[in-house]
Amino acid sequence: MQEKLTVKDRRQIWARWGFTHLSSMSYETLQAHAWAYAFIPFAKKFYKDDLEAQRRLMTRHSMFYNTEPQTGQLINGIVTSLEEQIALGEEVSEDMPVNIKATLMGPLAGIGDSIIQGIIVPLLLSIAMGMAVNGSAIGPLFYMISFGIVGPLISYLSFNYGYKLGVNAIDVIVGENAQRITDAFNILGIMVVGGLAASNIYLSTALTIPMGTEVQELQSVMDGIFPRLLPLLMVILSWWLIAKKRMSATKVILILTAIVTVGVLLGVF
Amino acid sequence: METSLLLSALLTGIFCYLGAIETPWLFGITGGFYILGRPLVAGLLVGLAFGDVTAGVLCGVAVQGVFIANLSTGGATNSEITYASYGGIGLAMATGGNPAIAVTLAILIGQTFGLIFYNSRMAAYSFWNTKAQKAAEELDYNGITFNHVIGPQITSFLLRAVPVFLAVYYGQPLVDGLLNTIPEVVTHIISVLGGVLPALGIAMLMNIVIKESSHFIFFFAGFVLMAFAGLSMIALVFIAALVAYVVYLASERRGVVTESGGTSAAVFEDDELF
Repeated sequence: MQEKLTVKDRRQIWARWGFTHLSSMSYETLQAHAWAYAFIPFAKKFYKDDLEAQRRLMTRHSMFYNTEPQTGQLINGIVTSLEEQIALGEEVSEDMPVNIKATLMGPLAGIGDSIIQGIIVPLLLSIAMGMAVNGSAIGPLFYMISFGIVGPLISYLSFNYGYKLGVNAIDVIVGENAQRITDAFNILGIMVVGGLAASNIYLSTALTIPMGTEVQELQSVMDGIFPRLLPLLMVILSWWLIAKKRMSATKVILILTAIVTVGVLLGVF
Repeated sequence: METSLLLSALLTGIFCYLGAIETPWLFGITGGFYILGRPLVAGLLVGLAFGDVTAGVLCGVAVQGVFIANLSTGGATNSEITYASYGGIGLAMATGGNPAIAVTLAILIGQTFGLIFYNSRMAAYSFWNTKAQKAAEELDYNGITFNHVIGPQITSFLLRAVPVFLAVYYGQPLVDGLLNTIPEVVTHIISVLGGVLPALGIAMLMNIVIKESSHFIFFFAGFVLMAFAGLSMIALVFIAALVAYVVYLASERRGVVTESGGTSAAVFEDDELF
């Protein structure tokens, strides 16, 4: 009597969310309404004659929601499989999708943002910036293509993984092994950030050391002992101001501006 | 290639709309915010709009450095990167294409006008949200689509493309005038500052990923591999992945050792009896 979701149906839910997740974002509801929008074809197909069920479906998918939109498709996959079971009359309560969304949006936001905003985006950008030396368009194009592949791929794989595993996917996210994987990823991220610090901060001193009649550039001496020392000092200072002194970003910008201004006026930089 | 300022400013405004965090057209934030919204890509596109790709990309690289660690969590951000990119690079390209100017303008716009327009848009969207909520409860499917996609996007276009276009088109003579009166020392300071400011963004990233003091060993290792050994970023990633894998294996061993540590202590006690 009732068919299950076809691949085309699933892809439509994935795409409707994939395109419009933040389309109506406000601080109060954020990604809420993208859910309702994604399930419109589903509602029409599975609850053709049951208007009350459609109403309940749309209403429970208009509540506040916020997570990382690409890795978060895992939740979309899980909820899709749950809604399918509900529609087919199986023993799943209509509260389940709501609870799943509420429980998982936080952890996935944390993990997803760390992976996407913390590692993948800065990493690909850093590589692309290396290629964009001298104003070459290859740099930006590399980033556009590489993220253009990685982003949708993560989104699609997450959705399908969530759909196939259903509720069991939760164990993968909040289990004990998950913590070890997250910690390992964290280490990877830390090393990448160290590399970013070395390649994206530029500061060198213009000071010179008088040696009899000749003059030696201090920077080239420093480069022989400890390359990129000044950038390292700057990033450690900034980190200390933010992490230990708890200063706002704007204050730190002002402090760095002051240091640079004084340094330039004194001829140090 | 001579292009009129009007056309270039228009294109810059449109690209800002397409790179906004709330744009749906390029697969949501994947193609929009995370690609077109990045200063590096903005540099390429604004360069195309102004007919000078090289200068555009150079500005893009400079501004991207400052925003390398830009984070947006829960819709909140401390510097609106898309307004900053298109407003800053757009105005800089309209006045000669100096990367240091692009950095200054980007930071200024991102922290002031960008945030103002961004928060206005967030507030304006509440109007559409209420109507979308009502449409869901009343089973008005066309209403959901209109109040989730069409209405908000019109609002976004008005609040993104129009201000950026106006800023570039009418701001150009203003910035031009300012540039002619700035002493060279100030340009030098801005230049050096542009190289130092990425330290802030990276420090913010550090604040998130570094959770205990032992993590600094890994941070320094990554730094050394780039600064001393001169590796490329890609090579660093492979080595970091190896280190992460070893850490993953080591975290399993820790569980095993505490068990065998218990049994060997018991054996030792027995031996002491002799």
